Amino acid sequence: MRILCVLLAHFPWRCEVRRNPSLESRPAIVTYTSGSHRLVHDWSPGLEGLQRDMPLQQALARYGDAELLQADIPRYRAAFSEILDALEEKSPLVEGPEPGLVYIGVDGLHLIYPDDGALLQAVREAIPETFMPQIGIAGNKFLAYLAARRNPPGGHRILSGDDVIAFLKDLPCDVLPVLSKSRNRLHDFGMHTLGRIAALPPGPLQSQFGPEGKRIWELARGIDDTPLYPRFMERAIEESTVLSSVTVSLEAILVAMELLLVRVFANIARDGLGIRSLTLWTRTWSAENWERTIQFKEPAMEMRAAMSRIKRVLEDYPQPGPVEQVGIRVNRLGYPPGRQRNLFSELRAKDHLIEDIKQLELRLGNPQVYKVKEVEPWSRIPERRYALTPTGR
Amino acid sequence: MVEDTGKALRADAYRPVNVPEPVKVAEDDSGLPVAVGEKRRQAIATIEDRWRIDDEWWRAEPVTRLYYNVLLASGQRLVLYKDLATGGWYEQDY
Repeated sequence: MRILCVLLAHFPWRCEVRRNPSLESRPAIVTYTSGSHRLVHDWSPGLEGLQRDMPLQQALARYGDAELLQADIPRYRAAFSEILDALEEKSPLVEGPEPGLVYIGVDGLHLIYPDDGALLQAVREAIPETFMPQIGIAGNKFLAYLAARRNPPGGHRILSGDDVIAFLKDLPCDVLPVLSKSRNRLHDFGMHTLGRIAALPPGPLQSQFGPEGKRIWELARGIDDTPLYPRFMERAIEESTVLSSVTVSLEAILVAMELLLVRVFANIARDGLGIRSLTLWTRTWSAENWERTIQFKEPAMEMRAAMSRIKRVLEDYPQPGPVEQVGIRVNRLGYPPGRQRNLFSELRAKDHLIEDIKQLELRLGNPQVYKVKEVEPWSRIPERRYALTPTGR
Repeated sequence: MVEDTGKALRADAYRPVNVPEPVKVAEDDSGLPVAVGEKRRQAIATIEDRWRIDDEWWRAEPVTRLYYNVLLASGQRLVLYKDLATGGWYEQDY
């Protein structure tokens, strides 16, 4: 399958630039709060050495003059969702595993776009220019991702079958999507490039790395059978409200959540659907985001089932500050669980009956229920033929 | 849950079905039944069938019965037998 990978590097930062173009020329770090820690979410290009989720203190130690921006994750997600929507008009097979990374299945699109140039043009048109997409086209996801990543912002690369070995040969083994421990071990063995790994037979790698060794070997040769998981086309249900005044009161937040949940259920109840997964989110007056996802083992079909979980989550995970806006996003819907009938329901029913009869006998002291049993059905003497025997014995 | 009383199930918990019921029967001179019952005596209109059972002759009390399938004047059918060992009459579904 031919895959087109769109890489939108520094997606959160570019979302901020889109909102405030003057940020483009200034070094900036997008931060978020986790508990009492402030961590790095993204940064402007050029701030080398920063890593996602690293403590902000460490980042500031390197770039003390960088401007700090509070991450607005719901807005980034909404922006990414818009891009996916636009790309789905070009191809029905669009996967967005994380904000800023898109895989598109492009098999058969040559009937619409006569050559790769027209396809690239169509994809670029679906993405706002601010995001400067890096695009790669190749025979699988891994190669398409690498092809996209080896481009400058706004560039593209198309890998055909003949180019793969030469393309991969000198790439460092750090590009492999495997455990970092495995990558370090590859370096320890002197396998610094994919070309060195690909030159080995698969056996030694498997003996050293187990099942992952086979994957390492395959990836180093450009073999990747990871399927494309197109975005699940499901009704997007999101309800949010701005509170009349900022509040730290859990009760006030709960009331707001309950109102939103009423709207959600009004939306889905007529189809007989329940909630399988939802995300609660809040936004504080200082633009900090709080978000928690709740998975329901069985779809929540009514308010009470959902509210009890929501209440517990809100109690267990306190808000980072006074809340200004609350929202509920439904991630997954589901039908009520099917109750499979017991294949041996008659046996079960009999077991229950016998148990009840035993209880009755224990309470009243004598056999209370009998069943007719054949004793000598051939006997000429009528009273010899059958007997009443206590049930369950 | 009710506690187990520890009471063992006795052998006499088994009860035979279709145990013969003693019944008062009036006989004619030849020993054939003519009426059934004591207080509410009902005349036997017809003897529809008759058969004899001799069984368990190896026991101390062998079974020797003469059965009658009778139709009462009321239209009811009964199976009666005379225990030839004791001379008593019994009613029993056969």
